[in-house]
Amino acid sequence: MTDVQAPASTRPLIKVEGLQKLFPIGSSRFRAPDAHVHAVDGIDFEIAPGESLGLVGESGCGKSTTGRMLVRLMDPTAGSILLQDGDEMIDIAAIDKRDMLRFRRRVQMIFQDPFESLNPRRTVYDTVAEPLTVQRVGSVPEREMRVAKLLDLVGLSPADTFMFRYPHELSGGQRQRVAIARALVLDPSFVVADEPTSMLDVSIRISIMDLMLSLAEEFGVSYLYITHDLAVARYMCDRIAVMYLGKIVEITDTEELLSNPQHPYTKALLSAVPVPDPAYRRPDVLIKGGIAKAIDPPPVCRFVDRCPMATDFCRTHDHPDLVDKGNRHFVACHLVESSAG
Amino acid sequence: MTISNEVSNDAPILDVRNVVMHYRTEKGDVSAIENVSFSLKSGESFGLVGESGCGKTSMAMALLQLQAENATFKGGEIVLNGEDMLKMNPAEVRSHRWSDISMVFQGAMNAWNPVHRVGAQIKEAMDLHIRPQLSHTESRERIASLFEMVGLDPEMMDRYPHEFSGGMRQRAIIAMALSCDPQIIIADEPTTALDVIVQDQILTELKKIQHDLGMSIIYISHDIAVIAEVTDRMGVMYAGKMVETGPTIEVFHNPKHPYAFLLLSSTPSITGPRRKLAPLEGEPPNLLDPPPGCRFHPRCPFVTDQCRTEEPPLAEIGGGHRVACWNWESVPPLSEGLRK
Repeated sequence: MTDVQAPASTRPLIKVEGLQKLFPIGSSRFRAPDAHVHAVDGIDFEIAPGESLGLVGESGCGKSTTGRMLVRLMDPTAGSILLQDGDEMIDIAAIDKRDMLRFRRRVQMIFQDPFESLNPRRTVYDTVAEPLTVQRVGSVPEREMRVAKLLDLVGLSPADTFMFRYPHELSGGQRQRVAIARALVLDPSFVVADEPTSMLDVSIRISIMDLMLSLAEEFGVSYLYITHDLAVARYMCDRIAVMYLGKIVEITDTEELLSNPQHPYTKALLSAVPVPDPAYRRPDVLIKGGIAKAIDPPPVCRFVDRCPMATDFCRTHDHPDLVDKGNRHFVACHLVESSAG
Repeated sequence: MTISNEVSNDAPILDVRNVVMHYRTEKGDVSAIENVSFSLKSGESFGLVGESGCGKTSMAMALLQLQAENATFKGGEIVLNGEDMLKMNPAEVRSHRWSDISMVFQGAMNAWNPVHRVGAQIKEAMDLHIRPQLSHTESRERIASLFEMVGLDPEMMDRYPHEFSGGMRQRAIIAMALSCDPQIIIADEPTTALDVIVQDQILTELKKIQHDLGMSIIYISHDIAVIAEVTDRMGVMYAGKMVETGPTIEVFHNPKHPYAFLLLSSTPSITGPRRKLAPLEGEPPNLLDPPPGCRFHPRCPFVTDQCRTEEPPLAEIGGGHRVACWNWESVPPLSEGLRK
């Protein structure tokens, strides 16, 4: 079992071990599935308190599925998701319905599309106060105070001019601020943010990212920040995990990943990101084709078909483990393993 | 003949002059494009950037004369090869559309009719716009060579859109845009829905095709990093106005309109030092009732009294770089950023 350590000696807030999600294909009530899509296939990582971990990769790599399992909007097929709870670690994957309420106070989610994640018939107050109502936190006046404070914090001020508006009266950026206020109203310790800025214009994007960063500092929230945009991940995250077809292929500190990528997939991904400078010449992208679906994939390295460096060794051996190459830089590649002296 | 050819080499093939287009709505006129001018030379690529609602897609639709029904032109000219498209009747417009100027639409997923084979849809465009019409065999040969050009297996022409991946559909859209051998292609967010590796493949393909065929391309995108990579010259639009135009490298390295400056300052990058980015405060104005004077003045950190009442013209500041700002000389170099 690879141990992917969170930074420092602090105990991790989240510890994911062997997390797996398979989706059956072609099954029905009376028929066993023909095959399975291995959306997430045995991943391990840790997130420290107050840390923000970026999860990047192409569409279909399993990053959103991972995020959904971490907040238990989806049940894992196998593996555990341990959340620090006082002195012990509780397994999110094993929480039953009765304990779910308590768990939801600790873990929240911000979704991608602020046009779809808010109920159009509810006012801003209703939306932000709902978690308080569900959790039976405080009296009604106390809830109003809390909602007003949160709206101020997320930049919707003065709060009383926004409280009783409906989503259609708000711009995209303002809606996303409401979604952030809703996620933080219970003072959670962990928030999964799934592409929270990808639907927003560039100019609004930075203010939302800055807001999330400052709130993380203020409340000590940890983020799992899911994005396909490496430039955004760099701005937001302390560490980055790169996913490919259900596997984490590389995970390390953000600047280390950008300046010293080791996995051939990470290298390709980085060389494909356009740079806002006309004088900059990117290296050629060495991989071809697009991402496929991992339908009952062979046990060999997931990236072998697109890898420009694949050898016979890669084609005949099991998918490589994530191994520490020094400096808490973990890479899952046979070739990097053999070349690292 | 020879003389006019020499002249036309230097003259732009597309010249947009002071175009004003409004949308009539129940609540009043929306001033979507206000006095926008730019030109495109043969073989050149021009980028239009701006936030959603700034008028860049309206501009593209106006160039193809495919604007919405409630759009009205209040002035200006769109001169294509010496002829003003705004003065043409619908039949004349149709004879230019697709064969002289075509478009790669945004959202490769929705641009295809799901119940027809991809090749048949391309053939339909060719049948409508190529004169004399090609025979069935000629059409198929042409589609096959177009598919090869955009990196698709020619056998895919007999498949349905759902059998194509997102990147393949976008390649097929490009093949369709090329089908009538246009001089100009308008690429409206050609790679927005695609992953970066596929985006890189598509942009590389477009650049190569442009070079091989000597076409001009107008790229429209909200992603300024894409514009930086693929265009020679660019224009920045804000709230229906062109606020800055010039050689792409000049605009990126030396932005002089406060909006362009802030847009570039607020773009994260994976290269260069990791830095705090300057957010752009506020929201774009409602175009039903745009602010008087400069449309950017309510959000502008360099605002003066003049900006609130007088509209700045798009004026040349040297080297083909034009800026519509009274105070462009106060805008600091990009590297210094904005200090509060």
